[in-house]
Amino acid sequence: MKRKTIKKLLLVLVLTTLTIALSACSGDKEGENSDSSSITIGIPQDVEDSLDPHKAVAAGTEEVFFNIYEGLVKPDSDGNLVPAVASDYAISEDGMTYTFTLRDGIKFHDGNLVTVDDIKYSLDRCADTSNGDPLVSAFSNIDSVNVIDEKTVEVVLKEADTEFLFYLTNAIIPASNEDPAKNAIGTGPYRFVSHAPQESFVMKKFDGYWGTPAHIDNVTLKVCANVDSIAMDLNGGAIDMFARVPTEQAAQLSDNFEVQEGTMNLVQALYLNNSVEPFTDPKVRQALCYALDKQNIMDIVADGKGTPVGSSMFPAFGKYYMEELNDVYTTDYEKAKELLTEAGYPDGFSFTMTVPSNYTQHVNTAQVLVEQFKNIGVDAQINLVEWDAWLSDVYTDRNYEATVVGVDASSMTGRAMLERFTSTAPNNFVNYSNPTYDETFAKAIAATDDAEKTKYYKECERILAEDAANVYIQDLSCLVAVNKKYAGYEFYPLYVQDFSKLYLVEEKQ
Amino acid sequence: MKYAVQKIVSFVMTLCLVSFLVFAAFAVIPGDPALSKLGTDATPSQLAALREEMGLNRPLLVRFADWAVSFVQGDMGTSYSYDRPVSGMILDKLPITLTLAVMAFLLTIMIAVPLGIYAARHEGGKVDYLIYCINQVTMAVPPFFLGILMTFFFGLVLKWFTPGGYVSYQTDVPGFVRYLFFPALAIALPKAAMALKLLRSSVIHETRQDYARTAYSRGNNTNQVLYRHILKNALIPVVTFLGMALADMIAGSIIIEQVFSIPGLGRILMTSISGRDYPVVQAIIVWIAVLVLVVNLIVDLVYRIIDPRIRME
Repeated sequence: MKRKTIKKLLLVLVLTTLTIALSACSGDKEGENSDSSSITIGIPQDVEDSLDPHKAVAAGTEEVFFNIYEGLVKPDSDGNLVPAVASDYAISEDGMTYTFTLRDGIKFHDGNLVTVDDIKYSLDRCADTSNGDPLVSAFSNIDSVNVIDEKTVEVVLKEADTEFLFYLTNAIIPASNEDPAKNAIGTGPYRFVSHAPQESFVMKKFDGYWGTPAHIDNVTLKVCANVDSIAMDLNGGAIDMFARVPTEQAAQLSDNFEVQEGTMNLVQALYLNNSVEPFTDPKVRQALCYALDKQNIMDIVADGKGTPVGSSMFPAFGKYYMEELNDVYTTDYEKAKELLTEAGYPDGFSFTMTVPSNYTQHVNTAQVLVEQFKNIGVDAQINLVEWDAWLSDVYTDRNYEATVVGVDASSMTGRAMLERFTSTAPNNFVNYSNPTYDETFAKAIAATDDAEKTKYYKECERILAEDAANVYIQDLSCLVAVNKKYAGYEFYPLYVQDFSKLYLVEEKQ
Repeated sequence: MKYAVQKIVSFVMTLCLVSFLVFAAFAVIPGDPALSKLGTDATPSQLAALREEMGLNRPLLVRFADWAVSFVQGDMGTSYSYDRPVSGMILDKLPITLTLAVMAFLLTIMIAVPLGIYAARHEGGKVDYLIYCINQVTMAVPPFFLGILMTFFFGLVLKWFTPGGYVSYQTDVPGFVRYLFFPALAIALPKAAMALKLLRSSVIHETRQDYARTAYSRGNNTNQVLYRHILKNALIPVVTFLGMALADMIAGSIIIEQVFSIPGLGRILMTSISGRDYPVVQAIIVWIAVLVLVVNLIVDLVYRIIDPRIRME
């Protein structure tokens, strides 16, 4: 009796396993897309936020939401603002009042027409201070949002700000949506379908889109957590596209892929804690700048790719970027040693760079820096930390000596890059303090004339470079791998992925 | 009865200890879930408000007690980063990791038992020697490395599966099982090699016992002796091993999930640790502990079925 049970059990086992084995060997028919217009795009980290666009903070989330939500205006691939939910806008001369005209017939993903009340609701929601700070910090400058008539909304500011339009890219959502964290309803070219954590984020083309419709019907974002297997995922056909492919992975890609090169739009630098000895002395900071060989870093870290920068502004900011600041310091060890001697460190000194370990490029750059600083007798150590530890220890508590990271802009304003170096800025994690800088920056903000504003912003950049607030290195190169079946990828000067421009190559012909 | 009480007490104690250790570990390592969620744009008052909302300002023991009580009541909390109930997230992912572990377990048995018996019966033969050699090599290779080799050979060279092309069980079950075959094999092979070796030597050992000779003298043929007498005794150490192996497979599938890009419990555990999403980490670790404990319990029971001499003392 018992023997029979065991035999039966064994039989079941054999059969189950055989079924599994056979089904595994029965060939692989997936991969060929019968549905001609869908694309699977790899993303390095999940959309780790709720679906509420006003509460999303992760850059990875914002670049995806760009396809689902739109503001009154939205950036184009040149960084200019173009009307979106609003069809037209006017800014009063004093920079105090912004007037918007609602686009005719524009619809939300649920089919309802966008109304001026939805606009007022969305702006008020972000400016609401009942929980302490507003959801969007810049909105603390909003005095009131007024509905003029059913086509017109007016935003009145407390203080004049001619750059305020850049913050109005913030999503417009329907007032009727009771739970924006779970129901994603926007006006963008794609609408949200489903999200399985760490697995996939699915979007479908929105047929009622007001503007140029998207080309591809279904976009699936797939989380590729393992950066080292991106080339394999692409070559094997699991994903069709990946933005920000590491150089060594890009080298392993097959001929089926086109690798496009852009910039990451950030300023990579050795950020120094300006309130810690010896970095309190500008001569020491300048000495480090003279010891730096930017080209050497790019050669070693990214096969020579990258764009050198000399201040806190990256090239995509055409209006404010100053190429000439790259030449403020040229590699000169004698000069560096001289400066160190003047500062009282003739034999050099030692310090620690705290680097987030998940950013390979920054870690690699730090390793090259260690070698370069040896040339002037400075002994640098690397302390690798987790990103979360970096956020709390370095960025928030400012308990560090130096760090290698990239700083990007949250909006296309000079303010977004430069405000953090004013001595009282809450995000001044380098503790930079310079009265001349504060004064110049205040003048730039106050200026309502664009040329004057630009002049002061450029002056700020020059101060940062000449005072060597940080050891500026480069804007990293950004490699995007796209399967040759698809085309149309466009780089934006902001942290944005525009999927609506992608199309199937056959489709266009 | 006494046995059952004893088991349950040690079960609960282990779970308490495990979950408290996780709590304590997060209190010690640097990082702040509120900051992790809000990122570089966080303002101090936003941070303070979020910490309050997450309940992080309360003392560790209070938080632990609070968590334990709601856990027992079936409420595993809400994920910090995804803003959705942890229970739903785990329920979605549990089938993936369990299927992987169970498939690996079945494969282990399928490989180890027939080959082990064959090798024992033909002890010293050419095939036995060949199995021995292959076995030594397989045992020495860790699953994650086997996984990388398999991805390269079966995925990129032979194209039997799409590396990283995981198929969700919610849309396509056969495709899902097919994708998990190679990961399961990678987990199974080293374990199968060990089980095979154990079974072979155990069968050989039992064959030389007096009862086996007696069975022969009563006129049984080789098959009868092997399957009716020897195997029952020879299987006991193997079952012990397989029990431990299954527990190990559940925990170990986390690594293989990384290699094959399978979005199971392991993946979500890793990202939740680095994102300081405590409720998710807590729940997953406790569930893995529960699974391991349950498996151990089952092994204890299976012993009794195979060998009635073993009583619960």
